[in-house]
Amino acid sequence: MRAGAAALIVVTALIFGATVVQAHSASDAYLSLTVDGGSPQGMLVVHGQWDIALRDLDFVLKLDEDGDGRLSWGEVRRHQAAIERYAYASLGFSGNTGAACNIKPTRQMIDDHADGAYAALFFDVVCGHAPLKLRLKYNLFFAIDPSHRGIFVMHDHANVATAVLSPQNDVIDLTL
Amino acid sequence: MNRPVPSHALRLCWYALAAALASFAACRGSAYAAAPTDANTAAPAAAFRAPYLPSSDAEVLQDVPSTRDPAVSEMKALRTKLDTAPQSLPAAIQLAGAYVDYGRQVGDAHYAGYAEAVVAPWMAQVRPPPSVLVTQATILQYRHQFTESRVLLQKTLSMDRSNAQAWLTLATLDMVQGDYPSAGKDCSQVTANAGLELGLACSANLRSYTGQARQSLALLHQAQAGGATVPASYQAWVQGLMAESAERLGDWPLAESHYLSALKLLPRDNFLLVAYADFLLDRARPKEVLALLADHAQSDTAFLRLALAQSALHSEQVGQYTWIMAARFEALTLRGSDFFGREQARFALQLQHDPQSALDLARRNWQVQREPWDTRLLLEAAIAAAQPQAANEALDFLQKSKLEDPIIEPLARQLRARLNGASGEIK
Repeated sequence: MRAGAAALIVVTALIFGATVVQAHSASDAYLSLTVDGGSPQGMLVVHGQWDIALRDLDFVLKLDEDGDGRLSWGEVRRHQAAIERYAYASLGFSGNTGAACNIKPTRQMIDDHADGAYAALFFDVVCGHAPLKLRLKYNLFFAIDPSHRGIFVMHDHANVATAVLSPQNDVIDLTL
Repeated sequence: MNRPVPSHALRLCWYALAAALASFAACRGSAYAAAPTDANTAAPAAAFRAPYLPSSDAEVLQDVPSTRDPAVSEMKALRTKLDTAPQSLPAAIQLAGAYVDYGRQVGDAHYAGYAEAVVAPWMAQVRPPPSVLVTQATILQYRHQFTESRVLLQKTLSMDRSNAQAWLTLATLDMVQGDYPSAGKDCSQVTANAGLELGLACSANLRSYTGQARQSLALLHQAQAGGATVPASYQAWVQGLMAESAERLGDWPLAESHYLSALKLLPRDNFLLVAYADFLLDRARPKEVLALLADHAQSDTAFLRLALAQSALHSEQVGQYTWIMAARFEALTLRGSDFFGREQARFALQLQHDPQSALDLARRNWQVQREPWDTRLLLEAAIAAAQPQAANEALDFLQKSKLEDPIIEPLARQLRARLNGASGEIK
């Protein structure tokens, strides 16, 4: 062998020849909003559910305290505040006047998806005015994984709006 | 067939597919987080469950990479190194390489995204360094973005003609896409720039696709020589190639011994596990697949083989496995992700028993990648859908490439006979 180190550097590419099949879906989060039909006069209330993969949260927040590779409910529960801080820092809402709307976290649960368990973050968006449009800004995980996607759906009475949030599509305007 | 999955859940799932994004909330797969421990009773948890609060702190929800894993601590150390010197290109390339390698090994696409983020600041430059271009090309190749990957590799080589990594990656790409004359030239460049052993391995890999599996094995024996300085991943890769070449020759015991040697070196390598699982499925040994892949259900490619093994065993769980596999493909569709035709075609053909969809997927896939499995699936789907003419282009390709393969050859003969018979009738 000319040099073991040289082989070590290039071998990854060679092995790729045989392994070009992608084996696991990349990172997704599921963000679902429902406009509250009974919002108080002059206000807007939207109920949200945001499912974020526990594997993704573990990568950034090290939820697996004992490092045994098995994430328990206790470990997740003890990190709920950190999960909340991390997640809501990457989500924002504002009205068409530019006035920000508040996100009020309500509870966290667990939701099972086909590729694993997710933290389900429930929250309300409260706008102290009744905007005609709601602007959503989303940048969860983009800085560490640009292939992350936010699968978004909004229910407003009978209307359903959908979008895939990505680094190229991180702001969407929702007509109410 | 016994379908333990409630049919309403199945309908919701397909409705979601039809309505695309609108009703994803209705289509939830099941957790497999409670990883099956007994391979023979391996079953994913019940499908379709509303958000819940686990009843006990001890309940395990999800498998994650363990920090006790040396590869994980290595990535952590490299991350720390980069964090302390964020401008260091070597540190970034090392970390990105470690991510890509780990993701490839465990079959997890997240790490390609992490690697992409690491090299992103350099990719944003007007003239990204060659090492960054090659890393990004590797990531794109992993995602089946072959055209984009090729552009970056050519850009690299226009800057640095002797970049061995770029030649190797290009050789890989040409082999995956069935451009064997170009791959031959790439392999010569590999020899010139990376050394004889890697050049031999490159040529050997090529020969297994062009009817020279025996020479391939001989070359691989030479490529293997090198002694203690050779990393285990290289040795395992050569063993895996030997197994493939032995399969081309129909020498099953030899193929199996090479698969086992490779897996001894890299026991959790997703590619090797899946290739060996396919070998076992072809040999009608599905029970061994359940044992082999019991701890690897997180990987979609491994999960598909588990589902196929359940199907071969006529297990009661096959409906549930099929449902979950469908949900995973659907998640890919929802995110607007790249196309995974080989897996999807095989799923449609062997688990959904839908030859027409399988043929459509296999044809589309074959336009992008042409490894023996891609060709095999196209031929199988053309036969199942009774549309031999759909395989015309693949049959020409086989004739030109002279691929020898004891499973593909009879399929090709069968299709040629039908095509000749059909043209006879027209006459």
